[in-house]
Amino acid sequence: MRSASMLTYNLSLAMQSFKRAPSLYFLIILTLSIGVGVLCANLALVNSMASDPIPEKSDKLIHISMNTWPGERPPDEPMHILRYRDAMKIAESDIPKRSAVFYATGVYARDSESTSMKRFDSDVRATTPGFFELTNAPFAYGAAFEKSSGMEVVIGDELNQKIFAGQNSVGKTLELDGELLTVVGVLKPWILRPLFYHPTEGRAFNLTDDIFVPLETSIDLNWSIHARSSSADNYTGVKETRDKNAYYLQAWVELENTKQRVAMQSYLDNYSQQLKDAGEHPLATKNVLHNVNEWLTEKKVIDQKVLAFTIASVLFLSVCIFNASSLLLSRFHAAKFEVGLRRAIGASNKHMLIQGLTESVLLGVFTGAISLVLSWLFLKLSVQFLPRLENIAVLEPRLLVLGMALSLLTAIASALYPIYRANRYTISAELK
Amino acid sequence: MLKMNNISRIYQSDTIQTHALRDFSLNVTAGEFVAVTGPSGSGKSTFLNVAGLLDNFDKGQYELDGVSVQGLKDNELSRLRNEKIGFIFQNYNLIPDYSIFDNVDMPLRYRGFSASERKRRVEEALEKVGLASRLNYLPSQLSGGQQQRVAIARALAGEPKILLADEPTGNLDSLMARQVMEILHDLNKDGATIIMVTHDPDQAREVNRNVQVIDGQLADFRVYAPLDRQTQQTGKTMSEAVTEEVADA
Repeated sequence: MRSASMLTYNLSLAMQSFKRAPSLYFLIILTLSIGVGVLCANLALVNSMASDPIPEKSDKLIHISMNTWPGERPPDEPMHILRYRDAMKIAESDIPKRSAVFYATGVYARDSESTSMKRFDSDVRATTPGFFELTNAPFAYGAAFEKSSGMEVVIGDELNQKIFAGQNSVGKTLELDGELLTVVGVLKPWILRPLFYHPTEGRAFNLTDDIFVPLETSIDLNWSIHARSSSADNYTGVKETRDKNAYYLQAWVELENTKQRVAMQSYLDNYSQQLKDAGEHPLATKNVLHNVNEWLTEKKVIDQKVLAFTIASVLFLSVCIFNASSLLLSRFHAAKFEVGLRRAIGASNKHMLIQGLTESVLLGVFTGAISLVLSWLFLKLSVQFLPRLENIAVLEPRLLVLGMALSLLTAIASALYPIYRANRYTISAELK
Repeated sequence: MLKMNNISRIYQSDTIQTHALRDFSLNVTAGEFVAVTGPSGSGKSTFLNVAGLLDNFDKGQYELDGVSVQGLKDNELSRLRNEKIGFIFQNYNLIPDYSIFDNVDMPLRYRGFSASERKRRVEEALEKVGLASRLNYLPSQLSGGQQQRVAIARALAGEPKILLADEPTGNLDSLMARQVMEILHDLNKDGATIIMVTHDPDQAREVNRNVQVIDGQLADFRVYAPLDRQTQQTGKTMSEAVTEEVADA
């Protein structure tokens, strides 16, 4: 009861103090808010970049890189893209719980029954059916296609909104580059930050795909490759690639434990060795397995420029704290008569310390509110300069909490030295 | 009530050592009204600061209301200041943007009284100094004398054992100074122990005892005859007393 009363009293003293020097306190709050806001905006970007997109099984999902390049000038490292027969070798293995082999393509899509001829430029993932369970893709309606062939598609929420106004479109027919495919599943809004299943070629912060189509169907329809590819042979279209040395497919497997991982490694190495023994490539066996986070690290998903700017933001915040501390010092110096008076009439150093801290906490709360608004503005501004960050420039709830905590900490840090100095004043010197 | 034995307070700069108090001893009993006089720089204010626990001392013993203050921690000294001492300053030292109520309430906040207890004490204290009707005024809306009365109320609100007044009428004209002195005398009559630093020899004469400080030491323990407040006859001055003693000899 007594401490509650003192808290109320200290809060009222803090408000009184703000009223006495509103310009100065506004300047302090603004200084700290800019520092915290810039840092929070950067942390929001780093947070999105560094976060685990599928924490429930990121250690079990494994990306496979292989070196089976048959031609001259082989790559130094195993390639993250595979040729069709290597990928199929992985898909047919019974070691993984599930697997996914896919490539990125693109089509123009429209509702085949619509009178409008408007088509939507859509990103397509041509994949084996295991992709959906492997990535925990959330279904709103219907389900995944069951085979790697067939004129069926699964569509994402955004495309479903655009073409079918968000309705259950299972059973509807889409016209994709002139081909008619039936919708068998519609996904819920699905955000992966980063897009772990395809972080290469600067796609780490892309949205999930609009359309998912069976791999064999896409190859048969000759839908072109919209990502990195390499080939040791000549070919005119994707439908010719099944028996060519054309590298464009990515493979992921889900392995339950280390034992399975070792077995998978062995399976791949044996396969590579067999190819080498058969004279299909001259390279040393080197197949590399990466789990999700290892793969994102390998691909340097965290933008080094953003990281550098974040470090600079920390230094900038330190300068802001120093400036705020100087301003607070002048404020506390101006109030030393009152400090002396309060000490004379019975306030202890502890009382004055708590009063100072209460003021700084209140300062931190105001700073927090403004800094979060500034963070949001800085994020919007950074997207203007770096449009590819659009999908990750998000202030998540935990970033809001972090921003508020940072504001409180910086406000307290700014006030510590002024409070210390104020409590060192000789009481009798301040009073007459 | 207040016992000082051989108190020394030394201020040390890089090259100079100044004895603000030198083997200073004083004993003030409960209910006394003591005036402390002396020339500027003699150590009066240092004495009052040490007595009020606003400043440390380097040597000697000091006991306040039975509590030896040597070695006390900051929070213990603060509690003593809050519970046993009421300060009255020359410049009133009121916080200008606080109401009269809030100014008087301030020391009670650190005592942890309930809101109702604080209200009662503030109103009683202001009643004693005749300002009960000005609770919500700001200090700037009062005259100098009234502001000093508010400061007295603030000192009284905590019901201290001793009042320490540092030239309480120093900034007031004679009429207002008279009013303030009347209040102090009334408080003393009601049992308050008061130590007052003053430059005014007339005020010093009015009280039970005048101690003179010169060069950080007590100059004279002579007790002056107090002012007879009914007949308004003044007590003897220092020179009269000395002349009388010389004549007697």
